[in-house]
Amino acid sequence: MRKPVLLGALFVAGGIASVACAMDATEVMKKSNIQNYYSGNDGRAKVEMSITDSQGRQRKRIFDILRKNLEKGGEQRFYVYFKEPTDVEGMVYMVWKHPGKDDDRWLYMPALDLVKRIAASDKRSSFVGSDFVYEDVSGRSPDEDTHEIQDEDEDFYIIKSTPKDPKNVEFSYFVSYISKENFLPMKIEYYNKEEVLSRIIETMDVKEIQGHPTIVDYRAKNLETGSETLMDFTEVKYDIGLPDDIFTERYLRRPPRKWLD
Amino acid sequence: MVKKQLFVIVVLSLCVGLFSKAYAFRLGKNGPRVYGFIETDFGVKFDHDEDTKHTHYNLAEQKLQLKTRLFPENPAFLYDWNAELNIKAELTLDEYFDTTLDKTFREFSLSVSPASFMDVKLGKQIFTWGTGDYLFINDLFPKDYVSFFIGRNDEYLKKPSYGTKASIYLKNSNIDLVYLPFVESNTVPNGTRLSFYDVFQQGIVGASSSFSVHRPDRTLGNAEYAARWYGNVSGYEWAFYFYDGFYKSPRGFYDEMNKVVFYPRLSVYGASLRGAIFRGIGSVEFGYYDSRKDRSGTNRLIPNDRVKFLVGYEKDLGHDFSIGVQHLFEQMLNYNNYYDARMPWDIIYDRYYHLSTLRLTKLFKNQTVRTGLFVFYSETDRDTYWRPYVSWDVTDNFNVTVGANLIWGKRDTSEFGQMEQDKNVYLRMRWSF
Repeated sequence: MRKPVLLGALFVAGGIASVACAMDATEVMKKSNIQNYYSGNDGRAKVEMSITDSQGRQRKRIFDILRKNLEKGGEQRFYVYFKEPTDVEGMVYMVWKHPGKDDDRWLYMPALDLVKRIAASDKRSSFVGSDFVYEDVSGRSPDEDTHEIQDEDEDFYIIKSTPKDPKNVEFSYFVSYISKENFLPMKIEYYNKEEVLSRIIETMDVKEIQGHPTIVDYRAKNLETGSETLMDFTEVKYDIGLPDDIFTERYLRRPPRKWLD
Repeated sequence: MVKKQLFVIVVLSLCVGLFSKAYAFRLGKNGPRVYGFIETDFGVKFDHDEDTKHTHYNLAEQKLQLKTRLFPENPAFLYDWNAELNIKAELTLDEYFDTTLDKTFREFSLSVSPASFMDVKLGKQIFTWGTGDYLFINDLFPKDYVSFFIGRNDEYLKKPSYGTKASIYLKNSNIDLVYLPFVESNTVPNGTRLSFYDVFQQGIVGASSSFSVHRPDRTLGNAEYAARWYGNVSGYEWAFYFYDGFYKSPRGFYDEMNKVVFYPRLSVYGASLRGAIFRGIGSVEFGYYDSRKDRSGTNRLIPNDRVKFLVGYEKDLGHDFSIGVQHLFEQMLNYNNYYDARMPWDIIYDRYYHLSTLRLTKLFKNQTVRTGLFVFYSETDRDTYWRPYVSWDVTDNFNVTVGANLIWGKRDTSEFGQMEQDKNVYLRMRWSF
């Protein structure tokens, strides 16, 4: 008489436990997203990207980035001031990030005094020709995928994420290795539509800056093309008190030296 | 002679471009960084155009551009006002005109912020606003259409002017006020590089074109004024525009008997809206061209009032491929008065004018190879202008661009049709530092 009740209870408990695990995966990814993209109320960094193609040819992209959160895990503003190469020097790329819908983007070209509005619903295209896509730099919302814990050890959560809208992305799923110590992704493996490993992003260095664990060195490897990009963050600062109006047309035409230097 | 010089320069540029490493110049040991480039351009005509100065080509030049930014700290108020001096100088060796050396500043301006809500920029600078792509409704700042048709870099479509721009930043909107004391007009084909329809000779002419242009005297009374009041509501950018000055191309007849054209007085009132729609960017722009000296339309020597309406849409289709389309609609007002006032030899313009454009852009090889096509097509005139190009960043410092300007049109009197003989292919090589 008791056995079925006990078995029933066990099933229910097992059911609750497995539901709890699925929630944990999303919770982990949400926490990781906040840790990686939303630290502090605002921030700045100097970024250097080195792109090496399969024939060993090197290209460099150097830019300064300013970021402000309008809400934690939600709307953000980005201001990217290009310094190198010379033909993009002085160009400014500005983004109003809206999770769940298309971002608003602008590009300022100083040689023409032109404020161009960028039509870009594709968040998976290469950022300035590197092996990082736009969403790697601005952040992919955890709500865009369903997450499950594939594996776990004492150092990492290994989470498999599958896109809710597969048409919009170039991968069939990705696997993140989230550090249990700081919730930053140490490695992310992207599997293409044929479910073959096609791109790897690895964290090469983490530093604690103003109490926030920060990734300061990334490496992205495109296994299909054989190219590789290193992305280096220096002079990272948080909570510098960036005003909202930095992210307006005024500062596209006149870079705010006070915040960039 | 010229061919040999060109060959040497091309080879030198290639060597310099391929084997050089990037390095930066500075003014003085720890001075400001000087950026720039050395470029060689060459444009060959498709048809032998015997009308223009040179039959086989319309572009052959080498250019050195230097730009720098200085932050003056003396006198003290300049430091408080966050002063910035922008200088962009160019030296051009122009083989088209028997190897003349041209020196010019494309920019020489001082930007200051005298108050937290205000920026002022004065000096020689480029001014741009409006929502069109190669089409300008409320941007009445001077353009260089010769550069556009012969294959120079897009940068040269816009001409710098001397002026002052005061920008005032309010809570929900901003105002730009522009004062241009020295009228600068568009650079339009005049026969030396590009042949065109000469109304006096009633046919396509080149260097034999002999009319003259009466320019407005550079007095205070002839200054141009432009203003823009604009804002952004949840990513939708709205703007109202005003311009007071002159037609930018010489569209009026000053002295018909003696073949003199001029720039009649013009005011333009307009508005625009741009924002995200259908997962792309949509824009609409409107302009009312008030031809002040001929508001009734009865003077055949001065253009009538016009309204212009532009609609545009741009979308990114993924994989670095994007598409943009525009449609321009113009209507000449008081058309009946214009029609009645015509002389038998006048060109008959239509009341309505339609122009569509298409832009396709595709990037390859980690965005180092850019390919594109821009097409103008007028449903009214049935003429078309194609601008295909391929641009390759061989290294971060060396770029090679090949493109063409292809024009077809049945009528010699239409906007593009008149330039049919000017079809060309160009090559540009740029080494940046």
